[in-house]
Amino acid sequence: MVEVGSWVLLSYRLPREPSAPRLAVWRKLRRLGVAQLLDGLVALPLDSRNREQLEWVAEGVVEEGGVASIWIAKPATAREERALATTMRERIAAEYEAVIAQAHAAAAEAARRHRRTLARLRRELDRIGRRDYFPPPERDRARAAVAALAAALDQGQRA
Amino acid sequence: MRWATRAGLHVDRTACAWLIRRFIDAEAEFVFAHDADEVPAEATPFDIRGAELSHRSGGCSFETILARYELDDPALHRIARIVHEADLADERFDAPEARGLDVILRGLSLIADSDEQMLALSAPIYDRLYEYRRRATMLGREPG
Repeated sequence: MVEVGSWVLLSYRLPREPSAPRLAVWRKLRRLGVAQLLDGLVALPLDSRNREQLEWVAEGVVEEGGVASIWIAKPATAREERALATTMRERIAAEYEAVIAQAHAAAAEAARRHRRTLARLRRELDRIGRRDYFPPPERDRARAAVAALAAALDQGQRA
Repeated sequence: MRWATRAGLHVDRTACAWLIRRFIDAEAEFVFAHDADEVPAEATPFDIRGAELSHRSGGCSFETILARYELDDPALHRIARIVHEADLADERFDAPEARGLDVILRGLSLIADSDEQMLALSAPIYDRLYEYRRRATMLGREPG
């Protein structure tokens, strides 16, 4: 039998209006890279940091007059867990692809103003890396593309 | 006075404990609970869900404690931004030191074999960070 891992789940409900707190919660969850299971039910692989981060989101929901609870759960089958991981991996892969496209475009120009692009893409890679729980092959390609941009800008400076 | 927080300390709780011992209660004794229900009745809880001294309005517990005890030292407020970003990484503040602090604390938690030891190891780091920010405030620039 294949072992399935543990997940931390947040179930929450916020009043439809005002919309600002809903948006703030959605942004936090997006930053954490949660898998959306249903409207108002999200999941992350269980570790102490993820659990704590979701607990603080839950606290924020309650502060805004909503209801929230935290659960520790295991998918019933390895197949379900794989499906969850695949969805998360595909979404992260698309984020890496966006970095790759921007790095290639900037490297082709190699203009000095792309120093800023480089700094921004490095920060973006760092952000994506924090919510990348099932690294796709695009991760290494994105790192290589950003490194290539750095090298192209160095070359440009020396020329 | 007794203070209580969640076991398994990381950046926000080590910073809060340092802040409490250095600026609020020099005799502070800390207990570590695994659940909010385990907090002794006479202890003041912090960085635990439901406690007053906890995350508030999107801020970390360190920020809440600064506000609650009206500590207005600019060096502490600068440290609060670093702790916020190390803990929450939501880019509310520009605090490039945060990533480094987070890594140092993660490293310490690998060698500390208890929460008490984690406090003992991390306090000198916050002492020095505070000294650096204090001098930076006095000079109006980063000390050389």
